[in-house]
Amino acid sequence: MKNFKGAAAAVAALALALAVLPFSAAKAQDFPNRPVTMVVPFSAGGPTDTVARLVAESMSRTLGQQVVVENVGGAGGTRGAGQVAKAAPDGYTVLLHHIGQATAATLYRKLPYNVLTDFEEVGLVTDVPMTMIAKPDLAPKDAAELIAFVKQNRDGVIYGNAGVGSASHLCGMLFMSALGAQMTTVPYQGTGPAMNDLVGGQIDLMCDQTTNTTGQIKAGKVKAYAVTTKQRVKSLPDLPTFQEVGLPGFEVAVWHGMYAPKGTPPEVVTKLNDALKTALQDPKVIARFADLGTEPVALDRATPEVHKQFLQAEVAKWKPVIEQAGVFAD
Amino acid sequence: MTRFVKSPKEVASGLLLIVLAAFFAWQAMELPMGRAIRMGPGYFPMILAGLLAFLGLVVLLSGLTVPADPDDNGIRFRNWPWQALALVTLAVVIFGLGIRPLGLGPSMGLAVFISALASQRFHIVTGLISAAVMVAFSWAVFIKGLGLPLPMLGPWLGGY
Amino acid sequence: MEIFDNLALGFSVAVTFQNIFYCFIGVLLGTLIGVLPGLGPVPTIAMLLPITFGLPPVSALIMLSGIYYGAQYGGSTTAILINLPGESSSVVTAIDGYQMARRGRAGAALATAALGSFFAGSVATFLLAVFAPPLADLALKFGPPEYFALMVLGLVASVALASGSVIKALAMVVLGILLGLSGQDVYTGTPRFTFDMLELADGIEFVALAMGVFGIGEIVRNLEDEHTRTVMVQKVKGLLLSREDIKRITGPILRGTFLGSFLGILPGGGAILSSFAAYSIEKKISRHPEEFGKGAIEAVAAPESANNAGAQTSFIPMLTLGIPSNPVMALMIGALIIQGIVPGPNVVNEQPNLFWGIIASMWIGNLMLVVLNLPLIGMWVRLLTVPYHILFPLIVGFCCIGVYSVNNNAIDVFAMALFGVVGYVLVKLDCEPAPLLLGFIIGPMLEEYLRRAMLISRGDPLVFVTRPISATMLALAAIALIVVLLPSVRRKREEAFKE
Repeated sequence: MKNFKGAAAAVAALALALAVLPFSAAKAQDFPNRPVTMVVPFSAGGPTDTVARLVAESMSRTLGQQVVVENVGGAGGTRGAGQVAKAAPDGYTVLLHHIGQATAATLYRKLPYNVLTDFEEVGLVTDVPMTMIAKPDLAPKDAAELIAFVKQNRDGVIYGNAGVGSASHLCGMLFMSALGAQMTTVPYQGTGPAMNDLVGGQIDLMCDQTTNTTGQIKAGKVKAYAVTTKQRVKSLPDLPTFQEVGLPGFEVAVWHGMYAPKGTPPEVVTKLNDALKTALQDPKVIARFADLGTEPVALDRATPEVHKQFLQAEVAKWKPVIEQAGVFAD
Repeated sequence: MTRFVKSPKEVASGLLLIVLAAFFAWQAMELPMGRAIRMGPGYFPMILAGLLAFLGLVVLLSGLTVPADPDDNGIRFRNWPWQALALVTLAVVIFGLGIRPLGLGPSMGLAVFISALASQRFHIVTGLISAAVMVAFSWAVFIKGLGLPLPMLGPWLGGY
Repeated sequence: MEIFDNLALGFSVAVTFQNIFYCFIGVLLGTLIGVLPGLGPVPTIAMLLPITFGLPPVSALIMLSGIYYGAQYGGSTTAILINLPGESSSVVTAIDGYQMARRGRAGAALATAALGSFFAGSVATFLLAVFAPPLADLALKFGPPEYFALMVLGLVASVALASGSVIKALAMVVLGILLGLSGQDVYTGTPRFTFDMLELADGIEFVALAMGVFGIGEIVRNLEDEHTRTVMVQKVKGLLLSREDIKRITGPILRGTFLGSFLGILPGGGAILSSFAAYSIEKKISRHPEEFGKGAIEAVAAPESANNAGAQTSFIPMLTLGIPSNPVMALMIGALIIQGIVPGPNVVNEQPNLFWGIIASMWIGNLMLVVLNLPLIGMWVRLLTVPYHILFPLIVGFCCIGVYSVNNNAIDVFAMALFGVVGYVLVKLDCEPAPLLLGFIIGPMLEEYLRRAMLISRGDPLVFVTRPISATMLALAAIALIVVLLPSVRRKREEAFKE
């Protein structure tokens, strides 16, 4: 027991020594002088993670410091976003989040941070289009027939999605709201299992990011009806948009944006934004984005101001859709 | 133990299971049940909690009726290594508390050192050496080698 | 024969200096992170993704695959040596492997694991080469009702994992399912058993539960009476396998390989079931079922072969359909996209170099693993001669960093502390933790598939018996349950009569 007391004293001394060590203050001018952490609020390997890693790799070259991607998955992206909201506002912790940042404001009624006031927007990154796909033997031949088919069969049509708050969930909600017809919604844990059941013919319909669907569409394993963006998608030129086939105003894209915690010095945000813009002009990033079926946003949209306005507009756009569907994540 | 309790271990297990079942049932009460066709989030947990309570009851009754194995020497609370249990648990908890604010180095050192205290053969020198070796090893492997996004020293200690 | 042309193409890709080098780096790293408890292939591959930017796609994928199956290989080492299963697949190995280690047979257990894995890996790679497309189609036939039936079958089989009371084992399974249900409900997003903590929205982390209940619980148990007991192991007996051992493991390795190869194809958690199922089957057909749970070599051979075979065949849906069957495969798809390859069913035809190159490299990688690991066994076993009072604080340290690294989430560390206490109490009450862990893994899937099946069938429960695959499996489960319960009922009765 003698040892034990000595040891306890040692622990106490160590703890005291640690507590009195000086704090160090970082200066905004020499930003960045150590690695920057880019939090991705989803698990590694997904489309958002891929976007983040491509951007981070290019930004590392511009900033002269490693931009390290850290996956903080969980709770539909809100855990990672919450972590960044509470991080030190020094620019060394940034968030790369998608459309879920805007919908979380309504989906989560007990969110421990405020989507609109707890972040400094750095800039928009990219808009990933989505495609409406179906099991190979679903009856409708084209998008117009599909719309009639869903209106007629309503909850006889089984719509799969990748979980509450996922892009496919949002697209489905908006589609049903536009048609005024409720389908039977079957959620999955992520796109993989949902795609499996769609290709296997267990479910009828799904709307997902082109990143996930292009390979299946080109191989003819699923039927594709339309894209959800305003313009047609370069990698799938034959697919009409929903606006072309009679759903005016129907538009969903999985837009991505970068955020820093509220209170990050403006000059640091500017440096981050410059690095982001450089990344969006990087031929390598553009080429890889093209493989994802997307392209970087126009440079005038990759600014903090446009990003802020867009975020506010998106929060407002989704609020009634989610409330009408009556689905909340808490 | 009284003669009424034939196998204290079984009785204790049974009681524990019933308590746990009650806890889960209580937590599941707030959740919507739904129907079998469209089950709510509370449907499955509630059925399972009922099943767990039933199994706990069976275990409890068997503990009251069926005698224990002759080589079963009971629960013997007094022989439990309370100090070791507390120290190892404390070590892990301190690691969890320290990892963000203090960084990997100090929390790892504290965790290893405190858990070393749990042994009756603890010696301060070996304890400190173990802690130091483990700190150095985790720096080399986890931070340098594998590049985990973890600072060696956290924000409280001048790191980030 | 087309297959030989394809394999020749594959080997011509895999056997270049560069690709052999990356394959070696992959399996070496995989073994390392497999041995380190908690640190799994997902964070490692995620961290290495940026490095693969600069590599040709084939080399990148060869290295990343090597990490994955290398980690499956290494994961059994800590499970056997210190009762620390870092991944779901090594939980079963820990049951009898650790008991073998305590009896001084750690060397034999590790050798069995290595040889079993090598054999299984080779066979499964061959199956992958020959039957990948038809097997992938089979996986598509599995809808929600089939998966539900498969999970029920798995749960019933899991009761055989326990060597004690069947009723208690069932209770542990149910408790495991309840713990597994924690987190956001997939269907409504409602949080369950999260106590309003956002950190628990994705539920309790498996690694925290497994390392707490097995690893930390075992440490406390070993500290019970250090003075009176040689804590760790008896004197280490021969490192290699005797002729008797080899005879005993041949059958289990063959059966484990077969089972694992088949279940590995199913994306909805089939691979996880394979090691549990292999254990249960061996216990049922063994001539010495009483040895199971006390260090039976068959109980190491079969699950290890099964999980390694499953690790190889789980590439089938990813490579042939472009559909990830687990988080690691999702990462591989991410790596493909970063490389500019659109994953999907066309990869086999459009990128034959890639497809066949990866398959050929898997065989080479498995060979490297066995060459790498057999000499290491001596070193691992020597690790056990380190006095326990020095060894265990290091294990605690590894557990902490390991569990933290899974999600970068401190709540997982606290959960591990709690489950350490729980694990110790359960062992003291003779409640075995293995069925609890299986319930934890399978429970959420059971509920998910049940609810999904009911939604898709519009509430018609007959869907489970009108679909032939599902009906067959449910019938098997019913038979298995009767077989498992009968002896215990009879024994109880005999005991009652004796009184």
